[in-house]
Amino acid sequence: MGKIEWAMWANEQALASGLILLAGGIVGVAGQFRGWEFAAYAVAAGVFVCLLEYPRSKRAKGTSVERSGQYCFTVCVKAFGPLTRNYYVRAFLHAAICVPGGFMLATVLGCVCLGIASLIYLAAAIRGEHWEPILPRKDVRKPVAESIKNPPQNPPPRPPPETRRKQAKDLEGAAYDNPSSVTDD
Amino acid sequence: MAVSVRSWVANEGGKHLVLMLWLGANTWLFLRTYLLYSTGQQYHYLYKMLGLGLCISRASASVLNLNCCLVLLPMCRSLLTFIRGTHTVSSRKTRRLLDKSKSFHVACGVAICLFSAVHVSAHLVNVVNFSLSYSDDFPALNLARYRGEVRLPNVSNHDHPVRSASVLFPGVTGVLLVLILLLMFISSSYCIRVSNYEIFWYTHNLFIVFYTILMVHMVGGALKYQTNLKAHPPGCLRTNQSNSKLQDEDLVQAEDDDIRCREDAHFEPHYPQTWLWVSGPLCLYCVERLYRYIRSSDPVTIVTAIRHPCNVVELRMLKKDFKARPGQYIVLNCPGVSSFENHPFTLTKCPTANKETFGIHLRVVGDWTDRFTQLLLPPPRADMEILPMVQQRRYPNDGWRGFRLQRLYFVWVCKEIQSFYWFAELLCALHKKLWQENRPDYFNLKLYVSCTESLQRMSEERYRPLSSRLLVGRPKWKMILDEIGKSNKKRVGVFCCGPKSISKTLHRLCNSTRSSGTVFEFNKESFS
Repeated sequence: MGKIEWAMWANEQALASGLILLAGGIVGVAGQFRGWEFAAYAVAAGVFVCLLEYPRSKRAKGTSVERSGQYCFTVCVKAFGPLTRNYYVRAFLHAAICVPGGFMLATVLGCVCLGIASLIYLAAAIRGEHWEPILPRKDVRKPVAESIKNPPQNPPPRPPPETRRKQAKDLEGAAYDNPSSVTDD
Repeated sequence: MAVSVRSWVANEGGKHLVLMLWLGANTWLFLRTYLLYSTGQQYHYLYKMLGLGLCISRASASVLNLNCCLVLLPMCRSLLTFIRGTHTVSSRKTRRLLDKSKSFHVACGVAICLFSAVHVSAHLVNVVNFSLSYSDDFPALNLARYRGEVRLPNVSNHDHPVRSASVLFPGVTGVLLVLILLLMFISSSYCIRVSNYEIFWYTHNLFIVFYTILMVHMVGGALKYQTNLKAHPPGCLRTNQSNSKLQDEDLVQAEDDDIRCREDAHFEPHYPQTWLWVSGPLCLYCVERLYRYIRSSDPVTIVTAIRHPCNVVELRMLKKDFKARPGQYIVLNCPGVSSFENHPFTLTKCPTANKETFGIHLRVVGDWTDRFTQLLLPPPRADMEILPMVQQRRYPNDGWRGFRLQRLYFVWVCKEIQSFYWFAELLCALHKKLWQENRPDYFNLKLYVSCTESLQRMSEERYRPLSSRLLVGRPKWKMILDEIGKSNKKRVGVFCCGPKSISKTLHRLCNSTRSSGTVFEFNKESFS
């Protein structure tokens, strides 16, 4: 149990809770049950939680798989800086958001699930984890060697390097005899 | 790539047949329960009160019963291994189907989640309808205390403690069940299983709480059925009862039925039936876990531990009465590292009649393997004695007969060339043995080094058979399969153990058309 990353589980749980809160809120508003104002709040809260939790954090160790299309969400969440980076803030935020959901039957499930997610975030924060954005990696290509710009001028068999250097300056002096015959005799 | 019908049927046919049967069983059960509640005489009055919500909630409950029963069966791995190994299941098709048991478990789990959502929604609608359609004629049938009451789980009821308990208990147990189900479902997503398997394992073991609560979920049932159908056929009304909603035709009908309508309707709540469905598989699974625990209580002796390049440790062990066949895996538990963690490893050497040691190769990736290898092989110091290493050169000769394999193509892709040293001895010994038996085409080896950055070579002379079959870069699977298909016209079994991308590519290629017409049967092994 030593090296579990609680934040990943908390993220999945919180995203699912946001969806459940949203669904419960929609049911509550559509049915016009008593206390439907709480359901309307749950719809808004559910959407907010989903947007906040959609971008996955970068894992401390190992490969991070990002959710499809999460780059724009990553940029938005990153813009809030330490508010979204710190998991203590998220834990207390989720705990505060989930409370009004408990006053109506349709949203009580989302409330409890979000409360559980808040507890897991607290555990993650105590372990010292924080949110890291997954940004596209910029590959640094190796600088191209200079010799690539000067391809050989003559076909093989090519003379040894010293003769090649002479050839560049002095054509007559660079002439030499091939040690082996290059014809089919 | 065009899908070949023959290959598709060979690879996917059995799986889809089982899926169709399972869907058919679910549909039949749903419809049967739906019709029972919508047309059954004993539910006539209840149906009039609640309408569609009653039928859907009860139908989804019966489907949930079936799936909660079936979901445990694929997890009885010892039982499945036993069935798979016996001669009663000699068909390869059935064995391959049994290999897909985890997918069936996932399908049942998803069905449970879906139908739970349907069940909960239908019951919420029922609660509303109980209060809107409060029945003055049949007070015993009601759940609400008066028309228009809105019931909430936190409303206390001092007047009718029995009735409130009958509402609260299924309600509270229902909320608890859904909560546990959600916890189990959310932590079983692929990314959590791959990154932190323990979270998945420990939350999934909440299933025992789930099943316990499930079996008492219907105690104090709110839905009642009529017991005295003969004495009081539904639809009949007594003469001294005035009902302003009656039409003229109904009044005439009522006068005709007067003779047969002798008593008031009596209603009885249902007894919980879930335990009938669920207790069998639950007992079977508990017996299975107990069996695994008892089997694991025999100690295992570690004979040798060999350190290989690229962070791999080979472990040779001995255990009394341990039998295994190639392709099986074992699950290791080391109390010195962690009492509750169990890690699966495929066997790389099975016990034979002559040699009883069995071996695994484990790669140090996570914290358990790290700690385990630290316990096994303390960091080398010059003055410390190294654990004795016993070279096993004899195992290609043992247990060689009895397989119907006609040719083996072994394609091995590694990142670094050092990894090939894990099995270099075994591969060269096998190659030499087959060469001496004049069967050089039995074993075809293709080694690939996927990391193309730096040039790597295997320079040892004794590993020449390997270095001459070494290729740089990732394998082109289509070309390999085409080549194998051209040389082998019969069925070719493909066994893939590796990352998902390779597995997906191979699966797709196995299902597609081949110019040679060979059928490739795809099998894969994964532990996450």
